[in-house]
Amino acid sequence: MPHAGEHRVVGLKRISGGSSRETYAFDLEWSEDGQTRTRPLIGRRDPTGGLLKSDREREFKVIDAMHRAGLKVPEPLYLELDATVMDRPFFIMHRAAGRTGMGAFAAAEAESTRAKVTDDFVGELARLQSLDYRKYGLKSLGVPENLQAPARMQAAHWNEVYDRDRMGEHYPILDAAFAWLKANPVASDRIVVVHGDYRSGNYLYDENGIIAMLDWEMAHLGDPMEDLGWASMKFWGREELAGGLLEREAFYQLYEQKTGHPVDRKRLFFYQVLGNAKMAVICLTGIHDFVEQRTSDSVMPFLELLLPALFEDLANQLELI
Amino acid sequence: MLRPTLNELISGMQRTIMEALMPELSSPYAQGQAMSAIGMLAHAAAALESAPAYDAAEIKDLHATFKAIKKLGDRHLPKKGGLRGALGRAIRAAAKTPQDRREMEAAMSAFAVAVALGQLDDPVARHVRGYIRRNLERSRNLLGGLIPGA
Repeated sequence: MPHAGEHRVVGLKRISGGSSRETYAFDLEWSEDGQTRTRPLIGRRDPTGGLLKSDREREFKVIDAMHRAGLKVPEPLYLELDATVMDRPFFIMHRAAGRTGMGAFAAAEAESTRAKVTDDFVGELARLQSLDYRKYGLKSLGVPENLQAPARMQAAHWNEVYDRDRMGEHYPILDAAFAWLKANPVASDRIVVVHGDYRSGNYLYDENGIIAMLDWEMAHLGDPMEDLGWASMKFWGREELAGGLLEREAFYQLYEQKTGHPVDRKRLFFYQVLGNAKMAVICLTGIHDFVEQRTSDSVMPFLELLLPALFEDLANQLELI
Repeated sequence: MLRPTLNELISGMQRTIMEALMPELSSPYAQGQAMSAIGMLAHAAAALESAPAYDAAEIKDLHATFKAIKKLGDRHLPKKGGLRGALGRAIRAAAKTPQDRREMEAAMSAFAVAVALGQLDDPVARHVRGYIRRNLERSRNLLGGLIPGA
C-alpha cells in the first residue's frame, strides 16, 4: 500500500476458534487514489495461557512458506514479536471466507460439498508432503537426524508435556500409552513437513471445497504417517468416516492414490496411539492453565469431558480392556 | 439447612448470566464465553452431586483390585520392573486413613504399563483390565463421552 493514506481498523471483534491463540477479526480501511479500500484481516495474538505452548515466529514462517508454495492457506501479512506493541506477540493474516466446524465434517452438508472437501483435504495433504522443505527455508523446524528420530522425538516431546501438566496425577492409560510408544518406535520412510493438527475442523470451506488450512502452530518435520494418523483418528468423528468425510479404508486408498505412497499400517497405528495420547495431553495442558489461572477461557474446564473418549480409544488400541 | 444451598446458588448464577448478562453482550466471543460459563456451572452442579460417589467407587475398586492381585501371590509378578514394590505401596496406601488414592493410582499406572507391554501373567492382567474397564465406565457416567462435533 505505498500510496495509502490513513489506516483505520474497523469492526474489531474477538472470535472463537484457534484456542491456542486469541483470534480477532477486523477490516483494515484506507484511502488510496481517492478511493476507500478495505481488506478483511485476522489477528492472532499470544494467549496468557491455553492449550499449547508454541512459537509465533515459527507458525508465521510456516504459513508464509505454505503460501509461497501455493498451498491453500491464508496469506500471512505481518508479524510483530515485540511484546511492547500489543502486550504480547501477534501476527496478521488475510481473513479467508468460508465456514468451519468443530471436529468432524458437518453431517448436514450436501454430499457434493463433502466430496469436494474430501478431495481437497487429502489432496492438500499430498501436496504438503511432497513439498521440499529445504527449498522453502523450513530446515529451521529441525531436521530429524535419521528416519527413526521422528517417532522417538514426538513421543518424547508429548511425554514431557504430560509430565509438566499432569499436576502430580497418574492416568494409568496415558502412562501405559507413553510406555508403549517408547517400546514400539517406528521408522519413517522419508522426512516431510507435518502440519501437526491436520483434521476436520481446521479448515475453511464452502461448496467448492477447501479454501484454507488453518492452525499451523504445531508444524514440524517428521513422518508423513503422523498427519494421516491424526486426521483419521476415531476421535474426530467417531463413526467409520475419517474426519466425518470418507469411510476410513477409502480414505487411505485416496491418500495412496494422491501421494503415490503406500499407507504403512504399523506406522499409522503408532501415530494414532500417539495422536490419542497427544490430544489427551493437550486437554491436560488446558486444564492445568485453567487451574493455575493462566487463562480465563471458560472452554478449558470442559476439556475434562473429552478425556473418557480418548482414554477408551487408547485402552482399545493397547488391549487394556 | 443453610439457604440458598450450593445447587440453588449455582442455578441462580446461571440465571444471572443468561438473563442479566447475555442481553448486554454484543461480541460473539463474549456470548460464547458466557454460554460456556453456564455450562461450566451445570458441570459443577453435576459434579457436586456425583463426584463423591465416583471417588468412593474408585478408591474401593482400586483397593479391591490390589487385594485380588496380592491374593494371587508374588509368583505371578515379575521380579524385575518394580511391580512387587508398587503392589506393596498400594496395599499400604489402602490401609491409610484416609486412603491414599494418588499412591494407588500410581501403582495402577505401573500395572497398566506392564499390561500394555505384555509383561504380566494372564491372571494379574485380567484384574488390571477389569479395573480399567470399570474405571472407564465410571468416567463415562460421570463426564459423558463428549467428542468434538459428533
